[in-house]
Amino acid sequence: MGDNMAWCTAKRGQVWFIFTALLLLLIFSGPVAESVGAEPLAAFNGQSGMLRISGGTAHIPVLKEVAGLVMQAHPGIQIALSGGGSGAGIKQVGEGLVDIGNSGRKPTDNEIKKYGLVLNCWAYDGVVIVVHPDNPVKALSRAQLQDIFRGRLTNWQQVGGADKAIAVFTRDEGSGTRKVFSKKALMEKEITNKSLVVASNGAMKAAVSHNPGAIGYVSLGYLDESVAPVALDGVEPSLANVQNGEYTVVRGLYSNTRGEARGLSKSFIDFLFSPAGREIISRNGLIPASR
Amino acid sequence: MSRVFDYLLYLFAWGSGLILVGAFAVFMGFLLSQGLPALDSSLLFGRTGMVDALLLQRVVIDGLLPALVGTLLLIFLALAAAVPFGLGAGIYLAEYAGKSSKALFSLVFDLLAGVPSIVIGLFGFSLTVFLHKRFTFITPCLLISALALALLILPYLIRSTQTALEELPATLRLTAAALGADQATTIRLVLLPQAAAGILSGIVLAIGRAAEDTAVIMLTGVVVSAGIPRSLFNSFEALPFYIYNAASQFSNQQELQRGFGAALILLILCGLLFTLAWLLRKKVTARLLYHH
Amino acid sequence: MRPEAQVSRILFLAATVVGVLLTLAILWFMVRLGLPLFSTHSLRLLLTQDWAPDRGLYGIFPFICGSGAVVSLSLLLAFPLSLGNAVLIHLLAPRHLARILYQMVKMMTGVPTVIYGFVGIFLLVPLVREWFSRGSGMSVLSAGILLALLIAPTMILVFLESFAAVSTSHLRALEALGGTRRQKLVHVILPGARRGIITGFLLASGRAVGDTMIALMVAGNAVATPESILDPVRTLTAHIALVMAADFDSMEFKTIFACGITLYLWTAILTLSLRFLHFKATKTSMQVGHEQSF
Repeated sequence: MGDNMAWCTAKRGQVWFIFTALLLLLIFSGPVAESVGAEPLAAFNGQSGMLRISGGTAHIPVLKEVAGLVMQAHPGIQIALSGGGSGAGIKQVGEGLVDIGNSGRKPTDNEIKKYGLVLNCWAYDGVVIVVHPDNPVKALSRAQLQDIFRGRLTNWQQVGGADKAIAVFTRDEGSGTRKVFSKKALMEKEITNKSLVVASNGAMKAAVSHNPGAIGYVSLGYLDESVAPVALDGVEPSLANVQNGEYTVVRGLYSNTRGEARGLSKSFIDFLFSPAGREIISRNGLIPASR
Repeated sequence: MSRVFDYLLYLFAWGSGLILVGAFAVFMGFLLSQGLPALDSSLLFGRTGMVDALLLQRVVIDGLLPALVGTLLLIFLALAAAVPFGLGAGIYLAEYAGKSSKALFSLVFDLLAGVPSIVIGLFGFSLTVFLHKRFTFITPCLLISALALALLILPYLIRSTQTALEELPATLRLTAAALGADQATTIRLVLLPQAAAGILSGIVLAIGRAAEDTAVIMLTGVVVSAGIPRSLFNSFEALPFYIYNAASQFSNQQELQRGFGAALILLILCGLLFTLAWLLRKKVTARLLYHH
Repeated sequence: MRPEAQVSRILFLAATVVGVLLTLAILWFMVRLGLPLFSTHSLRLLLTQDWAPDRGLYGIFPFICGSGAVVSLSLLLAFPLSLGNAVLIHLLAPRHLARILYQMVKMMTGVPTVIYGFVGIFLLVPLVREWFSRGSGMSVLSAGILLALLIAPTMILVFLESFAAVSTSHLRALEALGGTRRQKLVHVILPGARRGIITGFLLASGRAVGDTMIALMVAGNAVATPESILDPVRTLTAHIALVMAADFDSMEFKTIFACGITLYLWTAILTLSLRFLHFKATKTSMQVGHEQSF
């Protein structure tokens, strides 16, 4: 009994300590995240709940930024963002497992009909061939590219580079980036089954940036100094060349809903077409699209 | 000749010791050297104020807090679901089951213990899709992940409960019976309290298993960013998945740093749990020695 | 029996039955959902064909080989390593050092696999790439080494347990005759612990087969059947994780249930052989008249 009493007092002391500590923390609480102009986010006023988004990974940097803005301005809203690739995005939204399913390719007519999808293309994007920044090879012809991805050329020497084995990186079969790359860059030529498989644009960039012999392909929006872009048939994969049509390995980025978007999904997609949204899209290296 | 053999044996044993210690040291050294600099309050709370984050006033964007909370919630829910069944089945096997039914049941639980976690995750996902067709509000979420994890740790709980009870000296049961206690009373008042430390250490190990598993939650509801979940039917973040994601697709040095920080936090969490289990285990052994 | 005693007995039994039913439900689900696959693809094709969805090939043979290669290599590395460490801790090292080593090994069993994968990507993969100056470093070798580190502690602990269980009377007799430590090991401990050694091996191989994260993170996930340990591979577990994340409700997706069944059966066979081993053990030990505990 005596023990019990002592414990109680100790506990009360602790509670007071914690209480005071919390109070102090409240008073001196650290930097609060800068709030962003609330006006473009006004559409979210009065909404709350969870918005689930999954699928294409080229979308993620933009959507992550938008989700961050929305959640900071409206703590009652939670946005769950995950990758998975275009295949997963289309099927998951179709089955109702998520609210918005992203795809880096246009859903097929079959998919649109089967699930009653409504497509929202909010950006144009190029699929860019990338190598390690130290790799001297900065341009390839389409034939060379095809031979590399088919596994016929296996050393960088064969295309004017250093004597180093080529490590071909590709994406899984559900990837929209892979579908577009395979169709518009490789002209449907096969990809060697010895190629290394990664599961997202982010993973592709990380893998290529760490491997001096690597070649892969990423969304234009992922391009930064950690990887080097490769010109295809003499055309640099730049934003300008995508815009003027010189660079042909391009695609739209879609955020699909089952039926017309409503509630949070609608506000979220509308935001992507708003001036603030377009600004974020450009800042992430993509070309904003109009409805 | 035998000299040479002796010599080789020494070389082999010490050599393997050296390799193991060396590998572990390099592993830990690398993790610590990369992870320690990342350990500060912004690792958990990102750019959000600590109090705001803890009171759910603001969402943590670039911090580990949601992942840490997600992992803790997962552990708690998985335990809540698994412990009743684990203890129940463990008690049944140790105290009630006949010889042949015991052999059969333990075989089944051994099989369950052997099932790879990714297969359990696949099962969880298929079940979710199956249920989703009937009840549309069921989607991959915290609850589903926790239930799948519960299935993962169930065999550990059963086995540790069973062992803890069977390890107890026979004199305990005999004395209780001599005093006129029936089986249920004996279990409740005599055996379970005596086996408590052993059972607890099993639970703690199961917690460790639930904390570290990635494959199960990967298929059943974990996402890259979701904030702190506010309902059982929400998506969630978790430390092991955060680590996996950071490793495969960090986009800048900062994100990688956070990955190392997360790895260190998870390692510390598992280390603490492990030490706890070990201490409990030691207590059991001490008591058993006393009884013999 | 008093009614409440009866009730608690029934509750305990119910808990057990639920556990059993769930175990069976896993297999049932895999088979049920994988079944549509077998209506269009024969089992033989599924198990022997290549994986090339573009050409309509959905075989999981490369992944079975992938799992086989990674697991074999990890066992090949971990088995001698574990045996050596067990001998060191049990017999050769000074008591003080042996204790420290033992604690380290116990600690290692608690390291999350995702952390092995994480460190592997940034530490081991670049090393392998540079040593062999071929390929990308993501390979059977990298995954095998990391898996070996993952399973070695389990093996060492089981070995040690079985070493400790070897009858001390033989050891005392040998000591009295002036036997060396090597003689102890070769003539008494290793033969006496044979079954424990096999147990450790089987348990560890089960762990290796079932691991997902290490292979997913460092083995490269290529769909080709591996020809060398420097080739990238995809294991059954990694295939489930990859396809699962990327798809569902397609032909590709259905194959992962075939992978699931294969894994379930693979680990079940390991569990059953363990059972068989111990069943035989109790039988013989009963005949001989002394107990050997595992």
